[in-house]
Amino acid sequence: MSFPEYNHDKSRELFNRAKKVIPSGVYGHLGPAEGLFIPVEKWPLFSERAEGTYFWDVDGNKYIDYMCAYGPNVLGYNDPDVDAAAMAQLKLGNCTSSPGKIMVECAEMLVDTVASADWCYFAKNGNDTTQMAIMTARAYTHRKKIIFFKGYYHGVSPWQAKIDYAGVLPEEVQNNIVIPWDDIPALQKAVAENKGEIAAIIAQPYDHGNFHDNVVMTKMFWEKVRKICDEEGIQLIIDDVRAGFRLDIAGSDHFFGFKADLICFCKALANGYNMSALMGREHLKNTISGMNITGSYWLSSVPFAACIATVKKMKELQIPQMFDMLGSKLINGLKMAGKEHGFDLVTSGMPALFYLRIANDDSLYLHQEWIAECVSRGVFFASHHNHFINAALTEEDINRTIEIAEDAFKAVKKNHPEMN
Amino acid sequence: MVDKKALAYINMFAVLGTLENLCDLDQKAKDILKNAKPVSIGFDVKDGPKATLSFEDGKCMLTEGCDDCDIKLPFSSVDKFNGLIDGTYTPIPNKGFSKIGFLLKTFIALTDRLNEVMRPTEEALKDPEFFTLNTVLTFYTVTVAISQLGNNDAVSRFSASNMEDGDILVSIKDGPKSIIHVKDHILTTEKEGEGNPRCVMEFASMELANDLFNDKVNSLACIGDGAILMKGMISMLDNMNRILDRVSMYLA
Repeated sequence: MSFPEYNHDKSRELFNRAKKVIPSGVYGHLGPAEGLFIPVEKWPLFSERAEGTYFWDVDGNKYIDYMCAYGPNVLGYNDPDVDAAAMAQLKLGNCTSSPGKIMVECAEMLVDTVASADWCYFAKNGNDTTQMAIMTARAYTHRKKIIFFKGYYHGVSPWQAKIDYAGVLPEEVQNNIVIPWDDIPALQKAVAENKGEIAAIIAQPYDHGNFHDNVVMTKMFWEKVRKICDEEGIQLIIDDVRAGFRLDIAGSDHFFGFKADLICFCKALANGYNMSALMGREHLKNTISGMNITGSYWLSSVPFAACIATVKKMKELQIPQMFDMLGSKLINGLKMAGKEHGFDLVTSGMPALFYLRIANDDSLYLHQEWIAECVSRGVFFASHHNHFINAALTEEDINRTIEIAEDAFKAVKKNHPEMN
Repeated sequence: MVDKKALAYINMFAVLGTLENLCDLDQKAKDILKNAKPVSIGFDVKDGPKATLSFEDGKCMLTEGCDDCDIKLPFSSVDKFNGLIDGTYTPIPNKGFSKIGFLLKTFIALTDRLNEVMRPTEEALKDPEFFTLNTVLTFYTVTVAISQLGNNDAVSRFSASNMEDGDILVSIKDGPKSIIHVKDHILTTEKEGEGNPRCVMEFASMELANDLFNDKVNSLACIGDGAILMKGMISMLDNMNRILDRVSMYLA
């Protein structure tokens, strides 16, 4: 089956306007630079509307969206139940001088849901929660140093950046220790060399970093990490901003069979309504209670209502099982389609957050070309980042995705006669 | 913060190294070298870079090491060598007094011409030929400086430590190109080199490249325009661009 390529004239027109008043036109992970729109003309730059698992760009092109706004879309865009709950709360009040009572209901619901957590501290972005987690760990332990795993990403504050990032001072990252993933001896060595100085280990539940095949950790790995933390008084922080609720409604630490001391949630928490939550264990509650961390919109009520509705629906739909099934079906179909046309499509990570890479060459040229051909035919993938499943995705969408992917494989192969 | 030793490596291989291209591309430089006898100048920097500039048949070539040269210029520190480049220090040769005329006349004329091209007036840049010469030479200086910083500047070493092995192609469309070879986190720039690049960064025009080198536009914004093409192992380019960000601080 053949799918015509989209054009993006209106996107380009709008981008030219945007550049005049917005640095880079679209900055950050949704923009063409960080989003790796290679080549840029194959990508939409702005959306007009979204519904379920689709969004439409300003040129009217429809996309099956596997980036899900980089995670927040977990139930489908404009989920009617979530939106109804949010709208009902909006009529009652949102950003008020005294927080809405729904904040307490939301915290109670989350504490009942997340297995390791005894309390909940709300904010807006994932970055807020990782920042608070580090500050809490430092305040509790009276220690400076933090252990990270190689390729880490926990947000954009200076302490989370690397020494070669623009605007970051060496002093801001001098207490960061970076060790490889899945290397217990390296962790033991780092701990021994900095005995009594390490406040926390911060990590995502597995290596779902960008630009490389994702690697799922074993329960045994996490068991050993937990043991080292317990022995050395180190706080274990799980950054579940990206994977949270997609692997396990009770938290990704629960999925891997251990308990984090602090766990950070954001993306899937409220199906696109802006909120995040740092959750933690009892022994840290006193510490964070005494800290001065807040924000103008952190206690707004509408997202709390959306969060309650989202988590309730995620439980009803058994989201982790559903995403595992849908993700597995999709990646198997994509791999088979690739194989049929001579492409070695490697899939990695958990099916709910699958990562793709064409391994025929060592440069990613073919992979980037294939991703671009998929996008320009209506399947929104990314070449450098894990993807996301959402609950509005149907088997019909998956079948169409595989057909488009197949057409994209054909287009790439046509451009590379050396593959025949 | 500028590291003086890293600056010395940039001054040696990126700045003085651009004399190679000046002599190739610039008629005024060719005129200066006309009728010059073959001669080589060694730069011997204590605890710093060592290299030899050789002039023969109107060509200039920079090679590492200074054991085999006609004129040798010793520098007791990287500060002194950096002083040569910014015009605040004059070295005294300890070898090759019979060829000192080349050093005092021809070589100084060449470096003056290099300075004129690399630090141009706004007026001079209005001449399209001169503009292209300035852009091309700056391109070579910058791409060589990337490797020197990647190997010698502490912050850039961190960027290099995150780079996989392979070749990076940097080019200006219909213009110059450089290959940056990465092996075991050591960077080597080969001007107009050949390779099998794992990633590519191409500037769409001389004008764009010039604007970028002079901080008039930002590379991220240019990607959205399609004015900079990037493809392949973007993680390598990402780390290279972090080094590139620091190059302007060193070359300022």
